[in-house]
Amino acid sequence: MPVWLREHSWRQTLTAVYLSLPLRGARATPANIFCSEQYLKVSIPPFLFEAILYAPVDDTNSTAKIGNGNIFFTLYKKEPAMWDSLTLANAGKEKLQHLRENAVLKAQEKAKEETEAKKITKQEHKKYALEATMKLEEAERKRIEDLKEKERQKVAKDLELWKNRQKDADKYKSVQKKGELHQEIEPLKERKNEKMNKTRIPNEGTSKIRLKSTKGCHGSCSIFSQNLKEEQLPAPRAAATIKVDFTPRVFPTALRESRVAEEEEWLHKQAEARRRINSDLSELEDLKEEEKNPDWLKDKGNKMFAMGNYLGAVNAYNLAVRLNNKLPVLYLNRAACHLKLRNLHKAIEDSSKALELLTPPVPDNENARVKAHVRRGTAFCQLELYTEGLQDYEAALKIDPKNKNIEKDAEKIRHLIQGTMQSS
Amino acid sequence: SAAAGPERPQVVSHVQQALSYTVFDCKWVPRSARLLCLGSAARGTGLIQLYELHGARLELLREIEKPKPIKCGTFGATSLQQRYLATGDFDGNLNIWNLEAPEIPVYSVKGHKEIINSIDGVGGLGIGEGAPEIVTGSRDGTVKVWDPRQNDTPVANMEPVQGESKRDCWTVAFGNAYNQEERVVCAGYDNGDIKLFDLKTMSLRWETNIKNGVCSVEFDRKDINMNKLVATSLEGKFHVFDMRTQHPAKGFASVSEKAQKSTIWQVRHLPQNRDVFMTSGGSGSLHLWKYEYPAQRSKKDSEGSEMGVAGSVSLLQNVTLSTQPISSLDWSPDKKGLCVCGAFDQTVRVLIVTKLNKI
Repeated sequence: MPVWLREHSWRQTLTAVYLSLPLRGARATPANIFCSEQYLKVSIPPFLFEAILYAPVDDTNSTAKIGNGNIFFTLYKKEPAMWDSLTLANAGKEKLQHLRENAVLKAQEKAKEETEAKKITKQEHKKYALEATMKLEEAERKRIEDLKEKERQKVAKDLELWKNRQKDADKYKSVQKKGELHQEIEPLKERKNEKMNKTRIPNEGTSKIRLKSTKGCHGSCSIFSQNLKEEQLPAPRAAATIKVDFTPRVFPTALRESRVAEEEEWLHKQAEARRRINSDLSELEDLKEEEKNPDWLKDKGNKMFAMGNYLGAVNAYNLAVRLNNKLPVLYLNRAACHLKLRNLHKAIEDSSKALELLTPPVPDNENARVKAHVRRGTAFCQLELYTEGLQDYEAALKIDPKNKNIEKDAEKIRHLIQGTMQSS
Repeated sequence: SAAAGPERPQVVSHVQQALSYTVFDCKWVPRSARLLCLGSAARGTGLIQLYELHGARLELLREIEKPKPIKCGTFGATSLQQRYLATGDFDGNLNIWNLEAPEIPVYSVKGHKEIINSIDGVGGLGIGEGAPEIVTGSRDGTVKVWDPRQNDTPVANMEPVQGESKRDCWTVAFGNAYNQEERVVCAGYDNGDIKLFDLKTMSLRWETNIKNGVCSVEFDRKDINMNKLVATSLEGKFHVFDMRTQHPAKGFASVSEKAQKSTIWQVRHLPQNRDVFMTSGGSGSLHLWKYEYPAQRSKKDSEGSEMGVAGSVSLLQNVTLSTQPISSLDWSPDKKGLCVCGAFDQTVRVLIVTKLNKI
């Protein structure tokens, strides 16, 4: 239950109401005061003061002064008139409620409006700040541009001067030289016939930078010294060859073009595959040492394949696979055997497995991939699955476009497909 | 774009000239305000154009057409009177032209089986001592040194060992030509190899590999005891080697810098200050660098052998001029800060770098 503050005193003029509210020791802050047009409330728990004003007041301009254990309100009346009392006498409960709610709503609206207004002013300030910054930057840029421009002009002028000096020096020297040459040419001709004819009117300066100072003497002196120099030039070198060798590169592509990551992966995989040994086979104990080496078995298999012993080769590859099932070359070669044995499904299986192991696709395993595709393609065609076969041949062609055999076979398959399509 | 520091060198674009062909090399004609552009016309022939700087524009003085596109050229081996231009073309031919009478070359040899990628000359222009020589590096993997007084056969041939697969030679440079006998050739290859050949002893003096194809090598001066060598490569990196101290195992000390994301096509040292150089990039930008020497250029290693100490490189300025690579760059030997560059957007630009005196 709130404690009502009832001891208040007030007086009024035509335009304002002055209300004094003692606080009985409670401290008040602006947050405790709530005022709207016709409703005034001061709530300092547990204390409560509430008043429905006699007539509406201008709540925006009205003030409240907190101090001395007292709140002093200065309320400006909306309509200048003398009030009979501070509060409305016959305020029914509903009216009270109604007014309270209105008051709250009105206050809320006002608050909203205020925030809106604040936002707008903030935006405007921001815009202004931005424009000011832009202006400053623009000015700075312009200043730099001007500096550059001045520099440019200065430099251009300088260059022109230098060029003209050059030209003048040249002309002067050429005139001088002509004179000198006529005088000197007789004795020189005897000694250096061809060379004099070849030489154009010399255009050199003895010093690189100081082009202004040219004396006739310098000119003729230098002709002499040039000739002397030619005398002193060493003979052409004795011809010789130096042999060079080059740092090898695993992948002969520039760093940015190389697919280093993939290539590394491939190398890594190969290295891993080599090291693997499926050592959990009990039958292995019966085998000789060399028969446990997948590479040796692979070679054995290759030899048997070459001799036509396809079954034997398959056996060798089988054992090798059991020892190390990560070597793509084993599957590749076994696929070739199966093709010869007409085990076409097995051939397809093995080629697929080989291709699986031949990822990532890099230049290093190109040949292997081409072979795998070709073998699988052949198997498909022999099963009369020509479209699948063609797919493989085209894949092979993509890797190795220059291979004529693959091209020919691909063509043949295309014709076959067209033939069957026509007849079916 | 250029920073506004008042004391830093500024790169001022003076003239821009659109060309109707692809320009591969541009060179100042020594002792003049004239420059040459070398390249390939659309119909597959070679072009040499001679321009003169007139105020804010370039005036075309002469255009010479040759049967094969021209890749590179140099005045390095010619005398100041003659100013003959040596060129390498797409067919592997080395020619020396008298620009006043360019119909017939003064010297011609089919030096290589494939395009001559790079050419350099030494012993001319009144610089240094010794015989004038020209070196060419080609896609056929060989580097050959020619003497214009000897027809048909090179005076030195650096070729792959029999059976060795060849690598393209992308760049060559002369160095160490401080007296009549000494001379070295440095060659950079597409697999990142840099090889230093000593012509006096006819042997390989040093080699290293910088992992990425070497686009351009240049000594800071050709005619002094070799001091510094800059090698630029793909992937935006370049290396500066201190060539004064060679360690028996470690070779030359170097510092490297990654400047741009793209290939650094060219490096050129300022003729008037050997510690300043400019690099041009695939992104159409130019970077101006300064090398600072360390407090001590060499020190002893644990076994007592001398090894070099590399210094540091700082960026003085950079500017982007084009969207296409700037493939050729040349400083004027006569006017400090004047340079010309050619880019693959078929434009040649004359630039002036200011405030180089203050470095």
